[in-house]
Amino acid sequence: MSTISEILKKKKNGLYYYNRVILPFNGYLLKIIIEDNILTDFSPTSKHIYVKEEDGFMSIYFKEYRHLEEEVSKYEAIKIVIVEKDKDIFDLKNHRKLALYPGENHELKIEATDDDILFIE
Amino acid sequence: MFVNKKFHYLTLILMLILVSTMNMFGADSSKILSETSEAVEPNILMVLPFLILLMLIATGPLFYKHFWERNYPKISILLGLITVVYYLYVLKDSYSILHIFTEYVSFIALLSSLFVASGGILIKVDKEATPFVNVLFLLFGAVIANVIGTTGASMLLIRPFIKMNKDRIKPYHIIFFIFIVSNVGGALTPIGDPPLFIGFLRGVPFFWVFVNVWHIWIPTILAILLAFYFVDRRNKTGEDKIAKIDYSGTIEFRGGKNLIYLAGIILAVFIDPNVMSWVPSLSPLPIGIREIIMFGIVYLSYKNAHPDILKANEFDFEPIKEVAYLFIGIFLTMVPALQLIANFAKSNHDLLDATTFYWATGILSAVLDNTPTYMNFLSAAMGKFYLDVNVQSQVLEFVSKDDVFLRAISVSAVFFGAMTYIGNGPNFMVKSISERAGIQMPSFFAYVFKYAIPILLPIYVIVWLIFF
Repeated sequence: MSTISEILKKKKNGLYYYNRVILPFNGYLLKIIIEDNILTDFSPTSKHIYVKEEDGFMSIYFKEYRHLEEEVSKYEAIKIVIVEKDKDIFDLKNHRKLALYPGENHELKIEATDDDILFIE
Repeated sequence: MFVNKKFHYLTLILMLILVSTMNMFGADSSKILSETSEAVEPNILMVLPFLILLMLIATGPLFYKHFWERNYPKISILLGLITVVYYLYVLKDSYSILHIFTEYVSFIALLSSLFVASGGILIKVDKEATPFVNVLFLLFGAVIANVIGTTGASMLLIRPFIKMNKDRIKPYHIIFFIFIVSNVGGALTPIGDPPLFIGFLRGVPFFWVFVNVWHIWIPTILAILLAFYFVDRRNKTGEDKIAKIDYSGTIEFRGGKNLIYLAGIILAVFIDPNVMSWVPSLSPLPIGIREIIMFGIVYLSYKNAHPDILKANEFDFEPIKEVAYLFIGIFLTMVPALQLIANFAKSNHDLLDATTFYWATGILSAVLDNTPTYMNFLSAAMGKFYLDVNVQSQVLEFVSKDDVFLRAISVSAVFFGAMTYIGNGPNFMVKSISERAGIQMPSFFAYVFKYAIPILLPIYVIVWLIFF
């Protein structure tokens, strides 16, 4: 299983299909911002989102969306705050802010957010 | 967003009705105006679509967000269509609809061009955001709002303001930004806020607002800034983190060519047949040379913007689309409400004084759009002197007769736009950008009852007591 740092270093992409995003790592999600929706409820009963952990990757289903490609615009990112699996979730230094850009052929570009991107945790 | 493409058909139907209207009545619209505005009064029940739309805007994002996000364009256009059909086929009044649609096109042309042109500019301020620095920043925003409009200033400055405060940001930062930069700041020139711009087009001299309002603007801005300073001083969030950051104190500015586009928009404001006689009127089309230039700037500034800047700004047309769809409904459905108010004001003009104009314009500007509200109360105030708002020389005569009414209307139309998210176009855009940055903004009612009424209303009461 690759770590988030390795994925970012190798510039490895994730995938997306319709409302499902597949990230090539496992982690503890803390916050997701998609358009102007701020999501923090990741419980199984959440109306907005469903997170499924699998061996070596994780899937996020955006229940209120149909086609992420159509609904998230060209310069817009889905932003997430995530902690690497097995790292201390209570240490703020471990909170990684990532920007996910849906691209062509179902590819999902994963980038660490830089200072330019507005992203308040 | 969640918009189903079918609603485009509704938009198309609306456009077809308006175009057919132009063919039916366009040749003699001024005659129809005089006949309908004097003789025909809409049924009071026709205020319902407007009230329903306002209620949905207020409650939708709060109680049925998913439904609302998917359907607000359809709802807004459908409610607008009810008013359009009523006016065209029951009142036989096409002028009122065409007139408001023309104002809507001007409104969207200005907002969208400022939105897109400023979206191609990236400002980075590497400076510690102390309460005092924030006050200076907001004061700068208030001043610049008079040069590039409240929309331009809001779009240009909201991102650097959030970035400066990123380790200590709270919703009140955004709300005070809306108060000062998106609204009150722009009260000094006709470019500052759309109602003043409409007044200018009708014949109010360009510098009249500055000369007559600066002494109200300064204490009001200072009072809101003072309130902000005391609130911000109590915010100790992120102090440890901020103390460790080595700020360079520099300001980086990218996308300078878009300043040319902004200058173009400001110049285009004056390209109007009422201001420059050589400018051709495209009447009865609901668009003029000015709007064509502004929409041209939307296209050019987006096409030529640097992708890195658009990415850093997370540029998205959604906020302006949201404003465009909601305001087509607001503009159309508020026609009956505004006409009823105007007729009431005209028939009771002897009872109306500066206090009435100040509060009535203000309260309605908070929940309606402030531009037509301003126009109707200007018309009512001129009615006191048997003058016609449609005649430029009479507007000038009114200004020279007794300017307290115009001052009351101008000040309250701009100031009270800050009372709700729907009071002024940029309010919604700033809210949307902030939410996309991860800031949980207060609901419609929380904004009004937790922030606008406790902070702004006492200041506006003092303004009224001293100046009106």
